Amino acid sequence: MPKSWPMCTDMSMLLELQMRLRRAVLGGDTAEIVAAIQGDGLDPAARLGIYRNHAFATLGDALQGTFPVVCRLVDKRFFAYAAHEYLRAHPPHSRCLVEYGADFADFLAGFKPCKDLPYLADVARFEWALNIAGTVREATPLQAEALAAVPAHEAAYVALRLQPSLSYFASPWPIDTIWQANKEDQVPTIDLTSGGTSLEIRRAGEAVVWRRIDPGTFAFRTALADGLVLAAAMAAATLRDAAFDLTAALRHVFAEGLAVAFVISPQQETPR
Amino acid sequence: MTKCRPIPSCSVGIGLRSPHVSEIAATRPELAFLEVHAENYMAETPALDRLLALRSGYPVSLHGVALSLGSAEELDRGHLNRFKALIELLEPMLVSEHLAWSAIGGAYLNDLLPLPYTEASLDLFCRHVEEAQQALGCRLLIENPSTYLRYRHSPIPEAEFIAEVARQTGCGILCDVNNIHVSAWNFGFDPIAYLEALPIEAIGEIHLAGHHAAEDVDILIDDHGSRVAQPVWELYAAALRRFGPVPTLIEWDTNLPALEVLLDEAHHAEELAHVHGYVDAA
Repeated sequence: MPKSWPMCTDMSMLLELQMRLRRAVLGGDTAEIVAAIQGDGLDPAARLGIYRNHAFATLGDALQGTFPVVCRLVDKRFFAYAAHEYLRAHPPHSRCLVEYGADFADFLAGFKPCKDLPYLADVARFEWALNIAGTVREATPLQAEALAAVPAHEAAYVALRLQPSLSYFASPWPIDTIWQANKEDQVPTIDLTSGGTSLEIRRAGEAVVWRRIDPGTFAFRTALADGLVLAAAMAAATLRDAAFDLTAALRHVFAEGLAVAFVISPQQETPR
Repeated sequence: MTKCRPIPSCSVGIGLRSPHVSEIAATRPELAFLEVHAENYMAETPALDRLLALRSGYPVSLHGVALSLGSAEELDRGHLNRFKALIELLEPMLVSEHLAWSAIGGAYLNDLLPLPYTEASLDLFCRHVEEAQQALGCRLLIENPSTYLRYRHSPIPEAEFIAEVARQTGCGILCDVNNIHVSAWNFGFDPIAYLEALPIEAIGEIHLAGHHAAEDVDILIDDHGSRVAQPVWELYAAALRRFGPVPTLIEWDTNLPALEVLLDEAHHAEELAHVHGYVDAA
């Protein structure tokens, strides 16, 4: 009889067994866990392989579902390879697979085989923003009248809370054009030198929508999304657009239903 | 003695998959319930809204695949809280999980990995089932997994292990007949003896699904990707004769066919339930 696995008499033994199986399933060392597996007429490594293949296939499919255009840009085989390397280094923490892949874009940015596609990581960031917007329900919009009761001397210290699905994303590449083109059967030619984009992404009903916004509005709304008070957000916007109009910008924020609540934060420092 | 339970008009449900949602909403096929994987609805996706809309027409069975009750570490409280919120939202008729583990040390492996069946793992698993039932505020059904490896040190037979979990924690058992067939083939045990080791009163649901044979080794793999195989239908009939009529699910998760095919499988299960589920108890 082969040397047997020591008795699992306590939790630390079971924990060690599970950590060893985890390493083996994620493509690491199998020698330690193989010794604990009953052959039952087969090479224990073949038995392990069934679990490993399942983990890589299903988690790779989950990533492909979240990053379809990244997959198309690099082709399926290369995507499977990149996903495999990512999985080994960054296995999921969340047990909801729709939440897996938050740092896939950062991984791609540092993944040497992708270095000839400098826009790839930003396409992944855009797809992640689309994914997140699709998993967060819209809140009831705040009406502009709600701010009427704020005393004039506190108006500068109002910090708006925005729709939880909103995100703002800028890239030196025309990411939205690249993305849209790669949803078509025949990908049209894209001018990569056509300039960057500043995008607003949100959920609207059952759909996720995005649009390009001008640099002043982008700076203003990004600052609001970061929790800055109106005075600070306006200062940030004016740096990008000297003609920035706060009143008009606020009117648009409310008309588009972007704000959901507000707080007054006089302690927040505002730039002079 | 003849069982006195009335014959339900329909006791079979199907797993709800997104490509079938609009057809089910439009045609309202006669089904006892719809079962969903809890983890697919924990984010507030549009899919959750569509499920909530369907709920007025069908009881929902909530099937967890990632609670990882067999992990040799504390249960993930965040995941339990999300599960609990979903239970409050959906008011499911059944809530189930697995005799397995799937996460350790902060990594979720997206599979139902086998436990060694020992006294120590039995204590751990029972403690986790009790904690989960308390946190979720409901009785759990625990499903027997399909397995492809056994540990050298695993002295308790799986059926005895799961029966003991039910005895100690008061949980029910989700008897996956396809999983019994698959594991029995893979390890050469008698599937009927397995059924006979399960306590009749604990059985709360039966799962039926397809499997396939691995290409290069003599192993069956549970993939929920084809029609229920004939030996599994036969084992289902044996389960019905032992347990009586039990809510039964047709699971189909990969290579998803037209809804019509799932309804046909459900109809066949229904026929078997009427033939075998109401005979004199053994």
